[in-house]
Formats: sequence, C-alpha cells, structure tokens
Amino acid sequence: MTSPGGQGGGALSTRGGSGARRMKWALELSLGNTRSRGGGQGDVVHPIGYSEKPVPDTSIQETDKNLVEKRCWDVALGPLKQIPMNLFIMYMSGNTISIFPIMMVCMMAWRPIQALMSMSATFKLLESSSQQWLQGLVYLVGNLLGSALAIYKCQSMGLLPTHSSDWLAFIGPPQRMEIMGGGMVL
Amino acid sequence: MAKLIWLCLQFIMLYSTVEAVFEDQVGKFDWRQQYVGKVRFSHFDSHVQSSKKVLVATENNVFASLNTRTGELFWRHVDKTGPEGNIDALLQHGQDAVLVVGNGRLLRSWEINIGGLNWEVVLDSGSFQSACLVGQQDTVKHVAVLKKTVISLHYLSNGHQKWIENLPERQAVYSGGNGEVYALGVVPHSHIAIVAYSLEDGEIIKQISVEAPWLSKIQASCSVIDQGMLTCVDPATVSLYMLDLHLQSQMTQIPLQSLGLEVTPGFQPVLVSTQPNPARPPLSEFLLQLGPEHHLLLQLNNGHIVTLRDFKPAMLVSFATTGEKTVAAVMSPKNKTACSINLFSGETGRRLLDTTLIFNMDPNGGKPEKLYIQAFLKKDDSVGYRVMVQTEDHTLTFIQQPGRVMWTREEALSDVVTMEMVDLPLTGTQAELEGEFGKKADGLMSMVLKRLSSQLILLQAWIAHLWKLFYDARKPRSQVKNDVTIENLSRDEFNLQKMMVMVTASGKLFGIDSKTGSILWRHYLNNISSNPAFKLMVQRTTAHFPHPPQCTLLIKDKDTGLATLHVFNPIFGKTSHISPPALTQPILQSLMLPLMDQDYAKVLLLVDDQYKVSAFPSTKNVLQQLQEMASSIFFYLIDSSQGRLSGYRLRTDLSTELIWEVVVPTEVQRIVSVKGKRPNEHVHSQGRVMGDRSVLYKYLNPNLLAVVLESTDLHQERSFVGILLIDGVTGRIIHEAVQRKARGPVHVVHSENWVVYEYWSTKSRRNEFSVIELYEGMELYNSTVFSSLDRPHAPQVLQQSYIFPSSISTMEATLTEKGITSRHLLIGLPSGGILSLPKMFLDPRRPEIVTEQSREENLIPYAPELLIRTEWFINYNQTVSRVRGIYTAPSGLESTCLVVAYGLDIYQTRVYPSKQFDVLKDDYDYMLISSVLLALFFATMISKRLAEVKLLNRAWR
Repeated sequence: MTSPGGQGGGALSTRGGSGARRMKWALELSLGNTRSRGGGQGDVVHPIGYSEKPVPDTSIQETDKNLVEKRCWDVALGPLKQIPMNLFIMYMSGNTISIFPIMMVCMMAWRPIQALMSMSATFKLLESSSQQWLQGLVYLVGNLLGSALAIYKCQSMGLLPTHSSDWLAFIGPPQRMEIMGGGMVL
Repeated sequence: MAKLIWLCLQFIMLYSTVEAVFEDQVGKFDWRQQYVGKVRFSHFDSHVQSSKKVLVATENNVFASLNTRTGELFWRHVDKTGPEGNIDALLQHGQDAVLVVGNGRLLRSWEINIGGLNWEVVLDSGSFQSACLVGQQDTVKHVAVLKKTVISLHYLSNGHQKWIENLPERQAVYSGGNGEVYALGVVPHSHIAIVAYSLEDGEIIKQISVEAPWLSKIQASCSVIDQGMLTCVDPATVSLYMLDLHLQSQMTQIPLQSLGLEVTPGFQPVLVSTQPNPARPPLSEFLLQLGPEHHLLLQLNNGHIVTLRDFKPAMLVSFATTGEKTVAAVMSPKNKTACSINLFSGETGRRLLDTTLIFNMDPNGGKPEKLYIQAFLKKDDSVGYRVMVQTEDHTLTFIQQPGRVMWTREEALSDVVTMEMVDLPLTGTQAELEGEFGKKADGLMSMVLKRLSSQLILLQAWIAHLWKLFYDARKPRSQVKNDVTIENLSRDEFNLQKMMVMVTASGKLFGIDSKTGSILWRHYLNNISSNPAFKLMVQRTTAHFPHPPQCTLLIKDKDTGLATLHVFNPIFGKTSHISPPALTQPILQSLMLPLMDQDYAKVLLLVDDQYKVSAFPSTKNVLQQLQEMASSIFFYLIDSSQGRLSGYRLRTDLSTELIWEVVVPTEVQRIVSVKGKRPNEHVHSQGRVMGDRSVLYKYLNPNLLAVVLESTDLHQERSFVGILLIDGVTGRIIHEAVQRKARGPVHVVHSENWVVYEYWSTKSRRNEFSVIELYEGMELYNSTVFSSLDRPHAPQVLQQSYIFPSSISTMEATLTEKGITSRHLLIGLPSGGILSLPKMFLDPRRPEIVTEQSREENLIPYAPELLIRTEWFINYNQTVSRVRGIYTAPSGLESTCLVVAYGLDIYQTRVYPSKQFDVLKDDYDYMLISSVLLALFFATMISKRLAEVKLLNRAWR
C-alpha cells in the first residue's frame, strides 16, 4: 500500500494526492550543484528559479480522477489478490502440526484480522473514491475470505474444537446416587 | 507378518515408557526388608568360638542364617510353601546342617558358612517321625531318620544310605554314641517297643517290649537321660517312669510325691534332657516342668533322682553347652515389664555369678515363648552368654549382658494380611494454623490474637529451622542423620512419605514409615483367636485436625463368627479412647459409608448374621443421617459355600430387605473372589478419543462387581473359569465371560471400566491374560449423575486375550491422585520380580489390521504374546520372595504412585507410569539455569544503560 500521490518528481512535487495544495513552481536555491557545474560548460547561467526539468501540467484533469479510482480499487482488491497465494502456501505447508505450518496459519489468520481492525483507516483512504462503499465492501469480503481460509486451514489441521473429543476434558465424573459396599462373608 | 512385527516394534519403541532406575537411584526411593517367619528350630553355630551365626528354620519353610551382631541375614533359602517344603527337623554338626524337608521327603545338608547345598537325597515315602545324629567314639558320621515304618542311616559326608530297615510303627530314634541306634515306639495304652540296631549293618541287636499302659505319646512325655535311661512322666499317676534301655525290661515308677514335688492341676508335665554331643550319651541332668511357671532341675544319680534346683517362678528354662560346661538359663519374671535371666550350673544347680540379664518386655509385644542361649567361655573360663528370646508375636530379640538389646527382628511382618497407607499429619506448626480455622469462631479480638500467636509460632519454627540448617552445615555430611521418629513425623511437600499400617496374621499391628521402612510403632493384640479374618478401614484421615486420624480393624474369629473392633490412631498406634461397640452377634461384613459424623469420622456399618445393621459411631447425628440416606444405601453379601450372591437395601430402622439374589450352583462352580472398585479411585477422562476424534464413552459404574467363578470339576477338558460382571445395587448381570478349558488360580484387577484377569489355560498349557472393557457408546446416557437404577442401555463389551510367559502370584493396578496418569498393572511374579506392565498392552481395541485411525489412536497392533521386558521390573535385582499382595496408594504428585509389595519380604518403591512429567529431573542444573538467568538480567540492565548514554550523546551532536 504505497501512499497515494507523489506523482510529481524532481524538485517540484505535489503533496497530498487530493490536490489540496498545489505548487505551480519551485525555486532551486541550491547553488553550485552538479547540474550547474555540468551545465557550466555552457555559457549561459540559468536564471534563478529555472529548472531544466519540464514542469508537469498539474491542472486538474480527468485522468487524475481515474487514477485515484484505480488506486482505490487496488487497495480494495488487495486482500482478494492474496487468496491464491494463500491457497498455494496452504497447499505447500500440509496438515502436519509443526512450527512452520503453525506460523503460516498464524500469519494467514492474523493479517485479515489486523486489516479488519484498521478498517476505519482504510475507509479514510478510500474517501476520495466515488465507489467508496463498494470498494469498502470488497475489501471487507476479501478479508473475510482470507480469515475463512485461515479457519479452514485450522480445521483441516485439526486445531478447531469441533469434535466431541475436544470437550471431553470438561466432562466431570458423574455424581453417584447409590452407596454400595460389602463383600464375601468374612 | 514381518511388516506387522516391524510395526509393532516401532510402536513399542515410540510409545512405551522406560522405567528403569539409574544406578545412582538404587535404594533412593525404595527399600526392601527380608524376613524368615516364625522360628521353629534354631541353633547357634558353636563349632567356632567367635562365630556370629545363628541358624533358623521357620514355619514359613525358610532356612536362614542370621548375623548375631546385627540381626541381618547372611543367607536364606526359601523352600516351597505348604507341606511340601515343611522343615521337619534341623540337626547341626560342625559346619553342616542337616534338614529333613517335606514330611521326610528330602534329606538335605547345608554348608552353614556360605549356605551352599552339600547334598540332597530323596528318602523313601512314609511320614516322618524323628531324626538324630549318630556318633561313635567321639566322631559323628551318620544321621538316622525314622519314618513311620522304616529306619535308615545316612552318611553325613555325602548323604548315601548306609542301611535301611523296615520295622513296625515307631515314633522316636535315639543314639547314645555306643554303636547302637534305638528305635522307640509305643502302642498306645499297651506297651513300649524298643529295637536296637547295630550301627555297622543295621542288624537287630535286641528287641524289648515293656508294659506301659499309661503311655500314649512317646515324644511328648519321654526323654532319654544319662546312659540310656528312658524317662517318662505320667500326669495321671503323677510319677516318673524309668527304663534302662540296656538292661531292664521293667519300668521303675518314682512318684513325684516321693521327691516332694507337686504338679499344677491340669498341667501336662514336660521333660527336657540335653545331649550336647551326639557321640556321647545325654547328660544325667534334666529339666522337668510341673506348672506354667514351675521348673525343676533334676539329676539322676546312681539310679536316684536328686533335685538340684527348684525354679519358681520361672517362665522359660533352656539348656546350653559350651566346651565341657552345660548351663541352664532360667527366665523369671522380675516385675510387670521386665524379666530377668540367670544362668545356673548344669551339674550343681548353683547360680553362676554375674550372669543376670534383664529382658524388658515390650508393653506392645507378646509374652516370651522360647529361649535360645548362645553360651561361650570367657577368658577366665567362666561362662558368658547371649540370649535370643522369641515372643508370642514372632519377634526375635537378641540380648547381651547385662540387658543390652543388640537387635530385634519382627518376624510377624513375614505374614502381612492387609495394609493401608495413611497420610502423615502436617507439622505441629502447620497443624496449629489449620486448627485456627477448624475451631469455632469466638469473637474478633481472640481471633486476631490467635492469628498473631500462630504467626509468631511459625516465625519461631522458621528461625529454628534456619538455625538447624546452619548448625548442620558445619558438621560433616556423614554425621547429619535424619532419623525418623514418631515425634518428628510430618508430611513432606508432595505427600510422598506416608504411614504404612500393616496387619499381620499373628495379630500384631505395625506402623512403618514408607520412606525409610523403619518401624515407628507396633501393637500386639494378644486376644486374637487362632483363625482370624481381618478388615482394616480408615475412618478418619489426618485431614481433620484437631481430630486425630482413626483406623478401625475388624477382627473376626472364623470359628465362632464373633467379631471385635480395634480402634486406633494409625500415626501413633495408640488405642483410641473411643470405646467400640460390643458385638454380640456374629458379623458377616462391614461397609464404610462416605457419610461423616460431626467429628468427621466416616460411618462404619456392620452387618450381623440376622442381616441387621449397626453403625459405628452411632451418635444421634449419624442415625439421623442414616435415616435420611437409608433408601440409597445398598450392600451385597457373597456366601461362597452356598454359592449365593445377595443384595440388600437398608431400611430406615436399620433393618434390611433382600432385593436381589443370584445363586450359583455349587456343584458346578464355586465363587472364588469378588472385586469391586477402589473407593479412592479417580477417573479423569470419561471417554476415549477415537481416530476420527469422536468419543467412545466409558461405562464407569461405581457399583460394578467382578465375581470370579471356577469350576469344581478340575478335569482339564471340562474345567472352566468364569467372570461375572454384576451390578451390586440391582443385581443385574452386565456381562458374563467364560473361559473354557481353563483353570485357576485366577488373579483379577478391576478398575475404571476394565477388568483384567489371568488364568491357566489347560488346553494350551500356558498362562493367559484376558481383558474386558465396557463402553457406553458414542453418547453418554447421563453425564451428571450415575444411578444403577436408571440405566436402560447395556454397555458395549470388548474383550481380548493374550499369552503371558510366566505364572503370576498377585496383581494390582497403579493408582494416582487424579487419575490423569496412564495406568500400569503391577504383577508379582513367583520369581520374585515385580513387573510394571502398561495397561496399553492389555487393550481390547488393539487392532489386528493397522489402519490410519488406529494409528492415530496410538493403538498397538494386536500380538497374542505379551513380552516381559527386563526394564519393566520395578524392583531390579531386589527379589521379593513369595509376593502375596501389592498395595498401591496415590501420592501428592500426579505422576507418582506408591507401591508396597508384601509377602515373605516387604518392598516399597514409587512408580511413574507416565514418567515424571510434573517433577524436575534429579540432575536438573539449578546453578546453570539461575546463573544464566542472572547473567542475562544484568546484561540487559547494562546494555539498557549504555543505550541510553549513546542516545543522549547522539542527541547532543
């Protein structure tokens, strides 16, 4: 999840992808830099504030909007994209209970849970998108699928207390209703 | 098949626990005590002046040599039990001891220094009468054995028979060292018949028949004294009869009144003579007992009887010889608790100076029964002696002048009947604290004061403990002794040390510390009948301070049926001040209820022959509780003579009603034993987890009884063994298993949901184990309450049998505090080993074909043979002879079970069926671990400090 924005390069940068603050130009105040030295061959000394790089057109365009949208979908589809990878890991790690499969399962279970916990932060990210709710839903579903996968893995590894044998230890000895004793006649 | 075996091996390797002891653990948790039993014959080894040996032959068919300095065994030979190994006679000559064994079946000679067998010969059949050494011209070379109709002479050196002669019935054999062997017999109320044989070839030299119509038993009332004078005592005419074996053919009668003697009315006088050297005739002095406490030393002097000394009162008198001197040791009562023993010269009857020895009688012991004197010549040629006293309670006490007890052996412990293990009390200070809460509250202020005072006591005890630690640390390690005495008894941290209360057949009770095996108290019940049955019950444990623990022993006289109760404190052995009820009716059985009276004593119900019940203690509180509970109290009685099993229910008026009855036809089979479950058994897991992770629930019926039946027909084709699983409340037969072509003795263990039994298969001629397991199925009928009256479904029964390579003597299962630890079977083998066999091997679910699921369940594939692996012997090389019973008790540690095996020997140890999962190993490196921890701690502290400094410096830059 790279931070959205930062499309600008060089000395000039636009900050905050939403385009709240925009700079038309920037001053290159550092003197004697390599460029000026490189360019020192030429006889023309650039005026103050001149940059060799072309200043991108930062006016609000339709494409920007699309980019934001795309970016938001990336975020929303992230968990879903991980599922094939997880399936592969699941297949590879097998059902034996040892340290590595357990670590994998823990990772697999923990990541969706973590993501679901920080749901509000993700929603903030998606704020700019028009399909915010849909994207949020997809994100949620993706994470839920991930955790379901983890639970399935736990189940296939036998880590879930779903059998009666898992509750055997909690059954206490039954109370005795009759008192009995005796034996052979002494 | 090979694959199966391989799999089996693999399973064994993977899942069985190893239980061997390490070499340095030998004797650390276990101890063994070896006994010989009640002494029948005893001889001091006298051929070497400084010998330390005493030979004993006992009623338990044991022949042993004891060290007279310490009382320990030099060597011991344990023969067969029963009449086959019965020791009939013990004769000692020089380094050889000659034994007649098994009613004259065998003649054996032992080398007494190392206990090796010199030779053994099988004698002709016939019941044994008497044996004696035969000497001639001061050398003893032969032994004569007289049986009912045959007399034989054997060489002492190799046991070969010199000659054998048939003769009519004879009872005694005598040889005076003159080359003749006399066989003496009596035809009751008619005459004495005497035959003299030549030593050389067994030729009859002469035959005498003498009228003696008053004589019935020659061995009881006759004895040979001096130069072949047969002397008999007749209680009817109160006179002595004498007969010279060489000359006379008429008995001379000497009325005792003419000697000025009187016999205590109703007492059978006893004659004792002594023949110190078999190659010479007996001495002319002899002892005559005229009353229970009246003895006489008499001398035959030129045909006249002279009274040398009159011992009155004298409880016991015994002859002893050293060198040429013969002395008589006389034990006479001194006061209530002590006896004095004095030596008297055999020839003159004069008291020898400085020979008084005081024998303090144990108030908890029996009366002296026999004296064995070891006489020796001191440097100044006077006679010194030591004495071994045998008392009624089978105790041997060895005493040196002037009364120092060198050792005692409690031979009653060779015959333990029943035992219990009782928790030790907390230390006095702990008990003080507990007592504070136990008592009833009385005001805030006094409670505070009490609390403060108990805290003070604790502080004091702690300081005393520290001081002791400090004090002991300065002393060398060998001097620090942790003697366990009755005063410093206290429970240890894990309750591993307990008090073993042992009841012996002689009626002596013992309290033994389970950690060291030292006897802390003993108590002899001197009014025990000859044929008793015992039942020991713990009524109150040590958990109810300040009430003392309480044990009750039910003693029933099997002949009369009458019973008595002995109530005592199991920690100190003292008889309780609570007077037990007088039981006028014969008692059939007793029953311990889990009910308690207001003093926390469990209620004991006694069922008499009218099937009426009496309670002990029978306070108002108890009777009220009984009335409330009566409808749920049931008991069963099994009368094996009638083959009747019957169940009763208690009524509120303490009478009973018969609710069920099962009759086993006694002409076909008989009830051998019945095994219920142990009341203190806990089962942690209510079911077994299957391979598919479902649960097979156990059928845990606390009222289930396993009744063992054996066929009366012992023919190998028709004999059978049956096991009847019967509910003790309803009488419902849950299961019945019959093993055809099998024979007892059946050993059975009943625990949890399984019954394991062992029998002899006459068809295959081998010992077999069989296991029955009961399951409720995949669902529990009622998981909270168990009532035998509400069980509509019959349990599932699984059974499997195995071949066991050895016969067994006894069997018991391990028992732990919570029942989490896996169970083992403890099997006492006739070889003296105690085998700890994992129950896992006796599991009817062991599959014949291995599947994924059975592997998941850790089931070992079925193999008919059970192996005995040497590391399963929990007593390594400490052989326990003739194991008769094994007692198991839980300790405070779940992993640990305390085991006591008793028989001729007593062996105590601990077993860990699932290894010591809750204990750090003995060699756990505390030093290393704590030093590493400390080092890490300091390292983190230092590095934290350094990191702070570094951060500060960087910030300043």
